Amino acid sequence: MSQEPSYLEHTSSLQRRGILSWLLTTDHKRIALMYMWALMFWFTAAVFLGLTMRTELMKAGETLFGAETYNALFTLHGVIMVFLFIIPGIPAIFGNFFIPIQIGAKDVFFPRLNLLTWYLYILGGILAIVSLFVKGLPDTGWTFYVPFSIKTEREISLALIAVFILGMSSMLTGLNFITTIHRLRRREMGWFQIPLFTWSVYASSWVQLLATPIIAMTLLIVVFERFFGAGLFDPSRGGDPLLYQHLFWMYSHPAVYIMILPGMGIISEIFPVFSRKSIFGYKAIVAASMAIAVVGSLVWAHHMFVSGMSDTAILVFSLLTYLVAIPSAVKVFSWVSTMYRGSVQMSPPLLFGLCFVYLFSIGGLTGLVLGSAGTNVHVHDTQFVVAHFHFVMFGGAGFAFFGGLHYWWPKMFGRMYSFKRAYAGIFMLTAGFMLHYMPMFVLGMQGMPRRYYDYLPVYEPGNFLAGIGAYIMAAGIMVIFINLIISLKKGEQAPANPWGGVTLEWQIQSPPTVHNFTADPEIGEYPYDFTRLNKNREKEK
Amino acid sequence: MGDVVKNIDNAFIYIIGISVVLLTGITFTMIFFTVKYRRSKNPEPADIRGNWKLELVWTIIPLLIALSMFYVGWNSYLGLRNVPKGAMEIDVLAMQFSWLFKYPGGRESANLLVVPEGKAVKLTVTSDDVIHSLYIPSFRVKIDAVKGMKTYAWFQAARAGNYDIFCAEYCGLDHSKMSAILRIVKMDEYRRWLEKKN
Amino acid sequence: MGTAAVSDSQGSRFGMWLFLYSEIMLFGALFILYAAYFLKYQSGFAAGGSELDLTLGTANTLILLTSSFAVASSLAAVQKGSMKLSGAFLLSAIVLGMVFLGIKYFEWSHKISAGIYPGSAAFKAADPAGHGRIIFYNLYFTMTGIHAVHVTIGLIVLMITFAFTASGRISRDNHALLENAGLYWHLVDILWIFIFPMLYLIA
Repeated sequence: MSQEPSYLEHTSSLQRRGILSWLLTTDHKRIALMYMWALMFWFTAAVFLGLTMRTELMKAGETLFGAETYNALFTLHGVIMVFLFIIPGIPAIFGNFFIPIQIGAKDVFFPRLNLLTWYLYILGGILAIVSLFVKGLPDTGWTFYVPFSIKTEREISLALIAVFILGMSSMLTGLNFITTIHRLRRREMGWFQIPLFTWSVYASSWVQLLATPIIAMTLLIVVFERFFGAGLFDPSRGGDPLLYQHLFWMYSHPAVYIMILPGMGIISEIFPVFSRKSIFGYKAIVAASMAIAVVGSLVWAHHMFVSGMSDTAILVFSLLTYLVAIPSAVKVFSWVSTMYRGSVQMSPPLLFGLCFVYLFSIGGLTGLVLGSAGTNVHVHDTQFVVAHFHFVMFGGAGFAFFGGLHYWWPKMFGRMYSFKRAYAGIFMLTAGFMLHYMPMFVLGMQGMPRRYYDYLPVYEPGNFLAGIGAYIMAAGIMVIFINLIISLKKGEQAPANPWGGVTLEWQIQSPPTVHNFTADPEIGEYPYDFTRLNKNREKEK
Repeated sequence: MGDVVKNIDNAFIYIIGISVVLLTGITFTMIFFTVKYRRSKNPEPADIRGNWKLELVWTIIPLLIALSMFYVGWNSYLGLRNVPKGAMEIDVLAMQFSWLFKYPGGRESANLLVVPEGKAVKLTVTSDDVIHSLYIPSFRVKIDAVKGMKTYAWFQAARAGNYDIFCAEYCGLDHSKMSAILRIVKMDEYRRWLEKKN
Repeated sequence: MGTAAVSDSQGSRFGMWLFLYSEIMLFGALFILYAAYFLKYQSGFAAGGSELDLTLGTANTLILLTSSFAVASSLAAVQKGSMKLSGAFLLSAIVLGMVFLGIKYFEWSHKISAGIYPGSAAFKAADPAGHGRIIFYNLYFTMTGIHAVHVTIGLIVLMITFAFTASGRISRDNHALLENAGLYWHLVDILWIFIFPMLYLIA
């Protein structure tokens, strides 16, 4: 296949050159890359904040700074990681880049809207930064619980508006994806011929679309309360702070699935390709994605078992929480079984996938401890919860994100990276991860609450170990990033299909041309049919 | 430490125990497959796309396990909610950043909760400002303190000694310093303490 | 390249419907709040509701309904090819929308001058027994306020659409924008149909 100019050299609007050909682009691939650089900035910033926080915690008492700074640090770390990195992360980068390609389209359905979401994202980020310099650092935690968020004198309103705008950005991205998948899919591609990554982003886009408005309104009301004293949540004016929690988690729990579903989609792509074998139970995985999206929207109040909510509500939400565990378990079993009698080739993306399954399983299983009412009461709002959601969000969504980065990097940039450095990075990251978060499970069981600047001496060894782990983890992330950046300059030219994938993105050149396809792609009966590929390989021999 | 604590700890052991078995199973199967079917050993993959019987099995068995965990957890939770008759009642007022305990008869104490050994103690909790959460790790008890709302928790003051009380819901600057001591003492010592002036 | 065999306008209408779902969820959050507080403070809500001007509320309901009907007629006119008629209908819809906002403004200023608004001195001093009425009015201002913002956005969209009809960019064969603007305007109307009884007919 002769190489044609790629989207990196050639733009759809030929008259624009240089930086404007990026800032005014409507090419989904270029927008994906713009998202990538912006997200990387925020991710690095939040890692740095987290690291500073864990350094302070390594020793009991004041070491580097006071409680005020610490409270701001965990607030910023949470807000940035949740709203500026994980929620938009996988859909904005990989969804933008690969959904149109996986369904054989030239672009998303609303290309200009797509660009607008990027600007909203940037605007939200800028507002978040500005909010830091108005009346001191925000100190509410990323959950903005009332009445604290109404009473605090720090600048919360701007931060809330920033979150509102970021929500709008990701909601519109979801809207765009749903429309794209419905209207721009190739005629030959039926619903059960859609690759699993696209499926999972589709499922999470619906959650995005329907749940985001709820938090948008809730945060607006908090802003109203702060400006006008509209006492809708303030107990001293007859408001009910529990209602805030309900509305907050009605979005923010489904948001957990907005974060993890696209990650699961990436893992569902990686396992078959590196096993050269069809995914095990394609339809079950699709059904599981939809089930997670639906049932996951009905379990929000399991964050509120000690809030004073009625015991009946606790019964119902605890039961539903256990039900939502099943589809995730089905997915894990399917991924592992995909390797059975496959032809497994170790590679950085697969290693990320394996680590994902291990870490995500720990995250999911500890979720069972939290879902059960009796055990929840003891570990609720302790370090146990912190460990649990980092296993799910970082060990899960984060590792899937990195896995996707290594899986699609050759396609996005046309360069291969060094496997050796990648393995070294993954090893450090995973080892550091375990050392960082495992002690927190123990600390939580011992009773150390979360968001604690200072603690009793009993908790010192655990916090110290966690601090060491944090540094190893950060070093691993650095190795991974440096490796990828080096590849841009020095990496070997990537072939069109370096891994032997069968979804459409591997049928086109790396990096793709502006309109993705130079010839009509072949769409098989079944999206993970490796038999033809394997036969061709035999013929070549 | 009383049946409630024991039940909850058993629920922990039950859920974590099964989880460890599952995790070990998944991890070892995964590693085994990675090694056994590596490309150099197994260049020709089979074409298996699923097995609905197997998929049904691994949906139903986890479902049953999950339901059993739910049941065990719920049962242990009931212990936390059903206050035995004749429990001694103490009001708790949380504020930024301290705890105020009010005893029957009017005695009040800040950041120190004194109760007699062997008694069941019911705490009725509320807040003066933002949300706090009363947490006594040793008795597996936690309940939010919300302004305008009364919540409760109870524990069996089984053995004399000092126990930690924390605030578990983030409440501002000195959240981590908002702790108190639970002191369980012999009955006569409690009486003497109660009679002392504030 | 034959990516998809669907016309553009069908897709953009699909996208518009998705957007409307999200708008319904946005107000859904307010309706949840309303329902929860209504159960808690029934008498306070009744007291607050009885103080609202039912005549003005009803008038506004009729105005918005008529306006919605005008937009629908405007679309029907375009489909028949009579652009002038379509423009006239659209213009009357815009005028009616503005009248709605005018009446709303009158109602608000009336209440505010009576000392009834979020965070007012009268509300700050109120004893716990009056909490229901305070919450009712806070909901009243929040709901009608956010609805008014939607009316304003709808009006801007309708004005743009009107300019496009006048300049000929909207025609018999190309009226997706008018259709979507109409959908949005209907949503604004339907939301009001829900809000109106919740606030005005509660007494």
